[in-house]
Amino acid sequence: MTGSTIQRQPKQVVRLGRADRSWYATWFWEIDRVLLLLVALLIGIGLIAVAAASPAAAGLEGKPPLYYFTRQLVWVGLGVPAMIGVSMLPKEAARRWSIWAAVVFALCLVAVPFVGIKVNGAVRWIGVDPIRFQPSEFLKPFFVVALAWVLSLRQQDRSLPVVPLSGLAVGLIALFLMKQPDFGQTVIFCTVWMALLLLSGVAMKWLYALGGAALGLIVLAFLFYDVARGRIMEFVTGSGDTYHVDVAHATIVNGGLVGLGPGGGVRKFKLPESHNDYIFSVIGEEFGLISCLAIAFIYLAIMVRVFIKLLDEEDNFLILAAAGLATQFGLQALVNMAVNVQVVPSKGMTLPFISYGGSSLLAVSIGFGLLLAFTRRNPYLTRSPYVVKWSSRQ
Amino acid sequence: MNAPFPAIAAPPERVRLAGARVESASVAHFRLMVMMLLFIAATAVIAGKLAWMAVASGPAPTAASTYGLIPPRADIVDRNGVTLARTIDAWSIAVHPDKLMNPPEVVAAKLAAILPDRTEAEYLAILKSGRSFVYLKRRALPELIKQVNAIGEPAIALGREPERLYPQGNLASHVMGWLDQDGKPTSGMERVLDTRLTADHGRGRPVALSIDSRVQAALETELNAAMVKHSAIGASGLVLDVKTGEVVAMTSLPSFNPNAPSFGAVEDLANKSTLNVYELGSTFKMITMANAIESGVVTSMSHRYDATAPLQVGRFKIKDDHPQNRFLDVPEILVHSSNIGTARIADALGPERTAAFFRKLGFDAPADIELGAKGRPLWPKFWARTTTMTVAYGHGIAVTPLHLASAYAALVNGGVWRPATLLKRAPGQVPEGRRVISEATSARMRQLMRLVVMKGTGRKADAPGFRLGGKTGTAEKPRAGGYAHHSLISTFAGVFPMDAPRFVIIAMLDEPKGTADTFGYATAAWTAGPVIARTVARIGPLLGVMPSLTKDVDESELLPLLWEPKGANPNAVE
Repeated sequence: MTGSTIQRQPKQVVRLGRADRSWYATWFWEIDRVLLLLVALLIGIGLIAVAAASPAAAGLEGKPPLYYFTRQLVWVGLGVPAMIGVSMLPKEAARRWSIWAAVVFALCLVAVPFVGIKVNGAVRWIGVDPIRFQPSEFLKPFFVVALAWVLSLRQQDRSLPVVPLSGLAVGLIALFLMKQPDFGQTVIFCTVWMALLLLSGVAMKWLYALGGAALGLIVLAFLFYDVARGRIMEFVTGSGDTYHVDVAHATIVNGGLVGLGPGGGVRKFKLPESHNDYIFSVIGEEFGLISCLAIAFIYLAIMVRVFIKLLDEEDNFLILAAAGLATQFGLQALVNMAVNVQVVPSKGMTLPFISYGGSSLLAVSIGFGLLLAFTRRNPYLTRSPYVVKWSSRQ
Repeated sequence: MNAPFPAIAAPPERVRLAGARVESASVAHFRLMVMMLLFIAATAVIAGKLAWMAVASGPAPTAASTYGLIPPRADIVDRNGVTLARTIDAWSIAVHPDKLMNPPEVVAAKLAAILPDRTEAEYLAILKSGRSFVYLKRRALPELIKQVNAIGEPAIALGREPERLYPQGNLASHVMGWLDQDGKPTSGMERVLDTRLTADHGRGRPVALSIDSRVQAALETELNAAMVKHSAIGASGLVLDVKTGEVVAMTSLPSFNPNAPSFGAVEDLANKSTLNVYELGSTFKMITMANAIESGVVTSMSHRYDATAPLQVGRFKIKDDHPQNRFLDVPEILVHSSNIGTARIADALGPERTAAFFRKLGFDAPADIELGAKGRPLWPKFWARTTTMTVAYGHGIAVTPLHLASAYAALVNGGVWRPATLLKRAPGQVPEGRRVISEATSARMRQLMRLVVMKGTGRKADAPGFRLGGKTGTAEKPRAGGYAHHSLISTFAGVFPMDAPRFVIIAMLDEPKGTADTFGYATAAWTAGPVIARTVARIGPLLGVMPSLTKDVDESELLPLLWEPKGANPNAVE
């Protein structure tokens, strides 16, 4: 009509748009969405894999076929919100809480020999069945953050004896872990500590010395520790009781390149720990070696994504914490996959997010939540000038 | 640094911070990249191993079974494709005692309840032995597997392993043979064909035997019924294609179940048709007569031979079982199964011609067939005059029933002897064979054989309409120093249809006893004969031989030669 005026609309903020300043929009823009996608992929694959392995594992124990799958659904239901929640924490708060949590779980670990439950010949658990957890699983991510904090203090004050201090802490934890005994976790803790030392700028001579010491320890264990010698000799010569390894090998190659199809696996029914340590072999049988390859590349992609992203980071604590968490995560996956393809001897270690884990899935989720929190970044921050060195622009 | 403002200056350790921070980040970034390369290298090792596994493990098997659709051992089928032997995935139950998780006492009690093969104490001993692997049961049924699985003991291993199944049970068990616990063939065609059945290029295709399972079943049931009726200790039966040498049915009773061969008696595992040799008695008279006609010793069917009295040769006395006490012409010698007449003809033939003809028929060597277990005939060591006379009617020489079947096939098929086979022969694969008698002699033999069934000792073997011909044979079993008069081998060798011969059928009973309805007779005419009559009536149509009341052998020139006294009992037989 005549004289009509354009009604000025009240300014509307597009939901999750760049102007949206709500807490969830901030999170959405700051979070590393590629990492989020990769971990979602892993969780999805994990659910399928546990569904495939559940009948085999439950069958051996006389439980209903989907016993482990339904429980895994519950744990994913707990783990995913925990991961998202932790990833929303401000970095400062995440650090502070992690340090306190590390102290609490370290105390739990110390208490294990006194109040722990014995499962499969090792005392690793705390709690009353069916509610129980492994303190070492929860300690792992928090301890990495605490370690990163301690080592980053060195930057504040070079006179602080952070290396001996952190070494003492790791040594104590290793002691309690070996008491359980849990050789696999000990290796993870020690390796992550060495990785953080490496990143914190310790002189290479110390790292060489540590590497030498580790080698010496292995030699000493070989000479004086019968179980270790037996394991190593069996792996090298392929002799001894290779039942587990043989069954795992038969399972992973049974599917050939493309697998027997979901639910088509037959060898998995003979495989102990099929839902847990050997789930990678079950995936190999049902979904083929090509799927195994894809999973290995997803883990690698997560590692590479975190490491590349850290090139933009200057804060020493954040570099150490994020790299440490990623290393711990990736190392565990690598060791598990290496055991499954018979590159290293059998070790009790789960495949993060894919193995049926129970409470350990919650621990892995919290750890990954911390990683997401520390890699959160304002996308409009200027890049570190240092990065130029790593890009093509010199 | 800033000397004029010492108050606000940081302590020396902190002053270097700004520069050190960049330097530290630079070192960290460099080392980050080194670590990343390490991770990439580790993943590459795993990927490489995965790729190697994919190459080394070969093509993906199908989900149907652990070894794919190609069985580890080919099926064996009969000539019509009916499965006689097949390899299936059976269940096995084993235990790894060294990996036991539950208390052995508990597991042993549950096992003893489910698998009563062993006692609880025995199970306990196994579980406590600490051994790494013990089989508890093989060839377990699925229900049993379910129960054992419900024990929930991870150390119990339930495995699939290939198992040879003989779905027809005892049928043709001696032809088939069986596999031992380790899957190795022990006997029969399983052993003969082992290489072919397990060869990589042959496992997918079944092997067809010449056996017809329907004919085999008919022969086995009829023979078994006669064996039971006459309380015989054993029996043997054969159906042989006269033109190709294919064995359509071959049985040896009592049989065994190849699915569980250990349950039977050991002596039953021997194949009486090919391994055991017998003196087959008067069935040999047809062979002698064919030889005599072929070699010109008998030139006329009407020539009469003296059978008025037993024939004394040295210290031997050859007698007839049912003496006619007169001169008998050639058809009469066979119709009445005269030993005396046959001996006189054999005497005229002489040892050389007799032995030569037997050699032509392969009576001096194990039967010519694929099977491994073949008996060597008892060939006379010295051909005295009496030897020539007695072998003519089947005493003093022992051969297998299969020898006899092959010889009869040659007598009626136009005179060509061919090796027998248990494998189905395509029309082009039939061996040429060797001529043993002329076409004309063969035609004469067909007339004579049919005549024996029409008018002579073989009447009880006649299956109306199937134009059966043949010859009875009742032999006393040899024993130390002579013959056992009441232990007989009663044989009937028949051929049908006689006007255009297609099959030889042999029924042999070992030590049959007479019954009330046979008037106490245990001779071939009364025991083996009826088996032939019933079996032929059953298998004739299966083999494409249709009964006919109009077709028959032309006996017009021989019938007038048979003299019958007025009022003679037409049923009087040997």
